[in-house]
Amino acid sequence: MFKQNGLSLEQAPPIIVVFRLFFMASIFGIISGFEILYYQNSIFNSNSIGALTLTHTLTLGVMLSFMLGALFQMLPVVAGVVLDFPIKRSLSIQIPFLIGVVSLLFAFNLNHKYLYITSSIFLGFSLFIAIFMMLYRLLKIPNHTPSSRGIIIALISLFVTILLAIYLTKTLSGYGDGLLYQEIKNIHIHFGLFGWIGLLIFSIAFQVIEMFYVTPAYPKAIGKYFAYFIFFLLIATVFYPILNNLLYILFISFAILTLYRLSQKKRRLSDATILFWRMGLISSILSMVLLITYSLQPIIEILNIAYISFISFGLSIVFAMLYKIIPFLTWFHLNAQGYFKAPMMHEVIHPKTAKKHFWIHLSTVISLIISIFIPILIFISGILVIVSFGWIAYQIIHAHILYKKIEDSGEKFEFS
Amino acid sequence: MIISNYMKDEHRECDNLFANAEEAVSLGEWEVAEEKFIAFSNETLTHFKREEDELFPAFEEQTGSSQGPTMVMRYEHEQVKGLIGKMASVIEIKDEDAYLSLAESMMILLQQHNMKEEQMLYAMCDRSLPQEMKEATLASMKAVEL
Repeated sequence: MFKQNGLSLEQAPPIIVVFRLFFMASIFGIISGFEILYYQNSIFNSNSIGALTLTHTLTLGVMLSFMLGALFQMLPVVAGVVLDFPIKRSLSIQIPFLIGVVSLLFAFNLNHKYLYITSSIFLGFSLFIAIFMMLYRLLKIPNHTPSSRGIIIALISLFVTILLAIYLTKTLSGYGDGLLYQEIKNIHIHFGLFGWIGLLIFSIAFQVIEMFYVTPAYPKAIGKYFAYFIFFLLIATVFYPILNNLLYILFISFAILTLYRLSQKKRRLSDATILFWRMGLISSILSMVLLITYSLQPIIEILNIAYISFISFGLSIVFAMLYKIIPFLTWFHLNAQGYFKAPMMHEVIHPKTAKKHFWIHLSTVISLIISIFIPILIFISGILVIVSFGWIAYQIIHAHILYKKIEDSGEKFEFS
Repeated sequence: MIISNYMKDEHRECDNLFANAEEAVSLGEWEVAEEKFIAFSNETLTHFKREEDELFPAFEEQTGSSQGPTMVMRYEHEQVKGLIGKMASVIEIKDEDAYLSLAESMMILLQQHNMKEEQMLYAMCDRSLPQEMKEATLASMKAVEL
């Protein structure tokens, strides 16, 4: 699926591979809005079917799809890893992944053992292949950067998360004694949230904060050891849960450092992507502070706000990346092929459009937090979630239509 | 790592000059912007010339390959030069939105390119060139003028 030429002329994967994953993620996002409207305030009870369904729609359907798309785009740059025959091959991952996610969501609701088995097979198959293909190439890089190191550890964490998920679905489908169900569930959540989502975001930060915004580099020692230390802590907390707070403090420190770096940026412009980054980082600090508070004062509302903040952390930074990647890829592919009318990035998505989305996203997160205390607001939250993901879905469709239109015009330079 | 260190510093210098020009455009100070943009493009083009005239031939001679990484880097230099030309033309007509839009593309394109050089090509040069050859290449690169 991948080939590594060290440096390749194919600087980016075909646009359709990335757009298809992003579009699927947005559709799952819209579905999550409808789930909020359907399950209402039961989503704040972490053991409810609603919470389970919504969590997996967001983490698997939304975040994982967005992150796989972003990784396909970033790997050629970070690691010189280029997709080989990517259109067909990426579908051979995306379709089983889609079947796996949908069957898992139905399995939670219908509690049907064959649905659990189906989801385990399809998700296991698609994700293990994707993880191994990426890891295989990443591990062959001669000179590792903080980013490539972090992405490797994040992918290993994703592998652990999925492996443990198979134990959980096996138990839920009635096979196996499930004696360790609760313990495994906790480790599954831990590796998924901190090892996969958290570490992947921080690994991307190592690369893009300095690169996109022209900031001073992160201290070398942090770049070298941060990912390993997080991974070590993730394993250590399995045996010594007291170390969880150290993990949270580490996340807080990294988020503060990144906010500080952003304040030192040499590019003075403040576009929506900066706002999304800042919101994401502040959300992660809030989430970690609340998790520490919860460990001292176990009040369920504190935990719920911590979870919403964590989702805000992940989604805000995903949106920050999308508003760079979608316009850049559209321009880049058309420009590289020599089309006269390759649209400029602002013509694909104008910064003002991205800024409007930022306000919708911020309102969504605030309204979700308030609806913990004022239950009726959950309906507004659900609608805002649908609008927010509908907004990004529209941007993807718009970019794709624009791309096809220019491509169909056929007006381009002929390279000799 | 003498090649890597020297070339990385040049990349950072180009980034700073780029940020200065962009700031001037966003403030509507077109004369300053033009001056800063010229500084950015001169620095970038000199850097490319150092690579294409001195570093790449040395690497190609040592490894016996002119169709590998250096070919890709030359191709990417052409992409960047194309964008520099477009940015210069929008500075002429003082179109802020067009400049900032092109600047966004330039930044990502340039950074992706720099990253590949810093993580792969320069490291390969530092590894494969003998010390004497590295020092001689570095000295001749420093002497290159636009």
